[in-house]
Amino acid sequence: MAFRSHVLVCAGTGCVSCGSFDLGAALEREIASRGLADEIQVVRTGCQGFCAEGPVLVVQPDEVFYCGLKTSDVATLVEEHLLKGRPVRKLMYTPPSAPAPVPKLSQIPFFAKQKLVVLRNRGLVDPERIDDYIARDGYEALAKAVTELTPEEIIREIKLSGLRGRGGGGFPTGVKWATCRQAALHRGVEPVIVCNADEGDPGAFMDRSIIESDPHAVIEGMAIGARAIGARQGFVYIRHEYPIARERLAKALDQARDYGLLGRGILGTKFDFDISVVQGAGAFVCGESTALMASLEGKAGEPRAKYIHTVEYGYKNLPTNLNNVETWANVPLIISRGAAWFASMGSGDVSENPWNGSSGTKVFSLVGKVNNTGLIEVPMGITLREIIFGIGGGIPRGRAFKAVQTGGPSGGCLPATHLDMPVDFDSLTAAGSMMGSGGMIVMDDQTCMVDVARYFIAFLTEESCGKCIPCREGLRCSLDVLTRITEGKGEEGDIALLEEMGAVMQDACLCALGSSAPNPVMSTLRYFRDEYEAHVRERRCPAGVCKALITYTIDQALCDGCHACVTACSTGAITGQVKYPHQLNQSLCIKCGACLDACKRNAVLRA
Amino acid sequence: MKLVKVTIDGIRTEAEDRTPLVQVAQKIGVKIPTLCHHPLVEPYGVCRICTVEVHMRGRVRLVTACNYPVTDGIEVFTQTDRVRRTRKLILEWLLARCGHVPLLNTLAAEYGITEPRFGRGDDTCILCGLCVRVCSDVVGAHALGFFNRGTTRYVGTPYDEPSDRCIACGACVEVCPTGCITMDDEVEQIRGELPLGPMTAIYIPTMQAVPHQPVIDYDSCIHFKTDACRVCAAVCEAKAIDHGQQDRREEIQVGSIIVATGFQPVDPQKVPQYGFGRYPNVVTALQVEHMVNASGPTNGQVLLKDGSRPQSVGIIHCVGSRDKNTHEYCSRVCCMYSLKLAHLVHERSGAKVYNFYIDMRSAGKGYEEFYNHLLEEGCEFIRGRVAEVSDWAVTPAEQGKLVIRVEDTLAGLVRRIPVDMVVLSTGLEAREDADEVRRLFNMSCSSEGWFLERHPKLAPVSTFTDGVFIAGCAQGPKDIPDTVAQAGAAAAEALALIDTGQVELEAYTAWIDEERCSGCQICVPLCPFSAIEFSREKKVSTLNEALCKGCGTCVAACPSHAAQQHHFTDAQIMTEIEGVLVR
Repeated sequence: MAFRSHVLVCAGTGCVSCGSFDLGAALEREIASRGLADEIQVVRTGCQGFCAEGPVLVVQPDEVFYCGLKTSDVATLVEEHLLKGRPVRKLMYTPPSAPAPVPKLSQIPFFAKQKLVVLRNRGLVDPERIDDYIARDGYEALAKAVTELTPEEIIREIKLSGLRGRGGGGFPTGVKWATCRQAALHRGVEPVIVCNADEGDPGAFMDRSIIESDPHAVIEGMAIGARAIGARQGFVYIRHEYPIARERLAKALDQARDYGLLGRGILGTKFDFDISVVQGAGAFVCGESTALMASLEGKAGEPRAKYIHTVEYGYKNLPTNLNNVETWANVPLIISRGAAWFASMGSGDVSENPWNGSSGTKVFSLVGKVNNTGLIEVPMGITLREIIFGIGGGIPRGRAFKAVQTGGPSGGCLPATHLDMPVDFDSLTAAGSMMGSGGMIVMDDQTCMVDVARYFIAFLTEESCGKCIPCREGLRCSLDVLTRITEGKGEEGDIALLEEMGAVMQDACLCALGSSAPNPVMSTLRYFRDEYEAHVRERRCPAGVCKALITYTIDQALCDGCHACVTACSTGAITGQVKYPHQLNQSLCIKCGACLDACKRNAVLRA
Repeated sequence: MKLVKVTIDGIRTEAEDRTPLVQVAQKIGVKIPTLCHHPLVEPYGVCRICTVEVHMRGRVRLVTACNYPVTDGIEVFTQTDRVRRTRKLILEWLLARCGHVPLLNTLAAEYGITEPRFGRGDDTCILCGLCVRVCSDVVGAHALGFFNRGTTRYVGTPYDEPSDRCIACGACVEVCPTGCITMDDEVEQIRGELPLGPMTAIYIPTMQAVPHQPVIDYDSCIHFKTDACRVCAAVCEAKAIDHGQQDRREEIQVGSIIVATGFQPVDPQKVPQYGFGRYPNVVTALQVEHMVNASGPTNGQVLLKDGSRPQSVGIIHCVGSRDKNTHEYCSRVCCMYSLKLAHLVHERSGAKVYNFYIDMRSAGKGYEEFYNHLLEEGCEFIRGRVAEVSDWAVTPAEQGKLVIRVEDTLAGLVRRIPVDMVVLSTGLEAREDADEVRRLFNMSCSSEGWFLERHPKLAPVSTFTDGVFIAGCAQGPKDIPDTVAQAGAAAAEALALIDTGQVELEAYTAWIDEERCSGCQICVPLCPFSAIEFSREKKVSTLNEALCKGCGTCVAACPSHAAQQHHFTDAQIMTEIEGVLVR
């Protein structure tokens, strides 16, 4: 049945938590009550990316983007736009510093500057319907891979595309596949492929969104990989914190099996392959390949030395090819549109050697002190400035940009001087950070870099598996020193000690979690050393974050006695009569900063 | 096997491809410190103290020697500044956790750490996991595991409760590098006691054992408890250990048999008044014999249970001999072995030795002289049967000692002798299974269970069964010279049969007429020589003429006249009777 119009409601986790399921239901009721059920279809899509403005929806084919909707807006929306054809301006998105709302999706800077490859189907398909995916040329690449290409040709195509692992390491995918295939042929055993969906970085949700919005892309990618490597068994290792992703993946797998795209004799050929979903138990370290495989085997998720690679001896000592969700999702397009098309995107020339550049696109979750938080996909080599100020719309409340943290907790913080640096694997590593799986946290001038380093080290201390001594004891000692500094008890020599510990941990830890753990400290020391020195030598927190180093006072000349701060203060530290300047009792003050935020006359001072 | 070239600290060597680096270094004498490594378990690579620097194709990196597989052309440096800086900081981190472990402090001193920058913690476990891995991978008991994660990780038993999977093998204690695991006091006490039994589950029974080979004690071997371990098999270069061995029965055809099944010592607990089993320092003569053996568990020293030397020792003769409650006979050997032990105990410990005897029976060449020698040596001899041994002290001199109460029949008074150690000279008795052996060979036993010879003077090693001979203490208590002499006689008898090459049969044997035999089997149990067997296929009795002595019992008993005797057929006997009656 053909519909006149489609309403694409975002059903990504962000929008779901803002009530998009209720919104969708209300829309359907309203449309039905107006007798439009045969003309207009409501579709629940995966994450559309603009999480900051959720819940969002798009009316097609008008391409009108609505955001921040409530169920009470539904009646207006249906009557005005869908019935009378008059788009509702007050529900549209207004970019910061823009004079008027921007109706069309393609005109909104957040969307206009992105390049969608992995997320090509986001907001366009219902992730729970395989027919939607197939309508968008889905499974065409798999058909080509199993009927027209030999495994060697598939691997050659992937190598030529220059695709590098999107999980963080940036290892060339084609090389990994070839090694795994060789190891399996050499030993005469059947290899296994694994999809790593154990995305544990704080503030990162790329893999979740990919599975939630387009699970078939991952399945198709894995099936192509299995054909190339010679595997018959695949696993998706997914976090138990991702219930929607798990549910949609399970539905997608069932549908793929029903259509003969998984299981025995795929597409009528002799190629057999199936995927099982394994749920993680919430350990960050299980994103590390050997720990993940230990967990898959049912053992405690602890890494082992990788002097013998998992492509040779991995899951149950079988050759095991592990790739991240985003890597797998890239595969179908490379096969259907060709390596040259993929290599044309991104930076560097990968035609000779995939190590020479970073081809394709990268999905980032852009969060922190940035106007447009959300999920974005950009070509490799784009600058940080384009991402943060172009797509991200700059820093809220007109504050100054201070740093951007990339690569998750074990990534590094880059300062404003690096804003024009291209974002690719090698540039980020050279700058002391890393690509990681694509977390990008923007920080403004109210962020204390010592405190940030302490936060990430505390996170990693919590998440260290504790197997090797440098990681377990080194992180604990580093955290002690950082805590000491933020509490104003830092000693001369602490900075050198942190650097020494960081260098030894990078050298001596058992796995990548440990050896990259000092990155937050090392990169902030590299770019924001003066902040550390201010903490240690002057007992001062320049950003005004470390509570032990700041005091709040009330400027008696400015205070008009509005009582707002008295109401905001939870400990009763502020006293005073209305219309007379108030007093702050330092012994009761817990330095929460509530008074500062409440004061309209800037009479509360922080020093 | 592919050999690769490896250079360690400038020393060139060759090793099998992918051998762990630490093994290669060890072979050429380069010392690399390790904490979490043990040859019995797979490398774990967590302490990182074995970190070394590897140069390969222009790439320099730090690796852990315990699990790094060597490849061709690598160059290894174990003492560079970078390596030493890493090890030093790891040790400081360890001291921050376990500041008072001697091993770590010794290592720290080697790296110039005097005052660790992160202080000294009070823990003792470095979480190297050796105990966990030994318990799971080697012992197979799986009683230990890691709990929690990261900085709160610890080693423990499931639910922190005593694990019933623990078999108290002590392997974890053995491998722990910091000594933070100890055995339960009770178990420790048992292990610490004067060891008289085997110390390990695999041992050579005695230094004089024949064959001189180790045996595995089924009851204490870990493999037979958990199906794991097999450490002995792994280290045995001769590959001589086979845990799958089973007992098997073998049938051997022989012409004659010498039964020399020996004796068993009387259980001293049958004489409860002497306190064996109640007082730890009441021991048997055999236990003392074990101690005085120079290659024995105490290296030839006579020691009390607490490991100290006794000041005084009492040897009680005739325990289980010449006693209406146990055995009335004299065991013949106790007097002389008691004298020997008295001499050795005095010589080894310098203790005052008392002998409590009923009669001194030192018949034999040189025996009486030895007795006299002991008298001169200052050994005390008290004639009288000991009434009891107790720890009930009456005088301060008896405090903490064992008191032997005895009637001194020469002095005519009852005496109390306090000693540190009491040795019971246990007698000899027939083996428990003597009756089974007797039946097996169709022999006879005396009332005390010793096998009976055919004639005490004329056939002292023969039995009533042809071809079966007896020798040694199976026939009756005797000392070693007598046993050897008797064994010689038995061997000669057996050889005589072999030498003849044939056996002369009795002429008057019985035979069974199979046509007449009804298969009633009355004759089978009646035959005193076990010569008749019932054939299940033919359903008739068959007779072995080699065993038949022609006694005629079966002939007289057979109801169908199937059993007949050569030269004594019914017809012949009837004719003889007729002849007698005619006259």
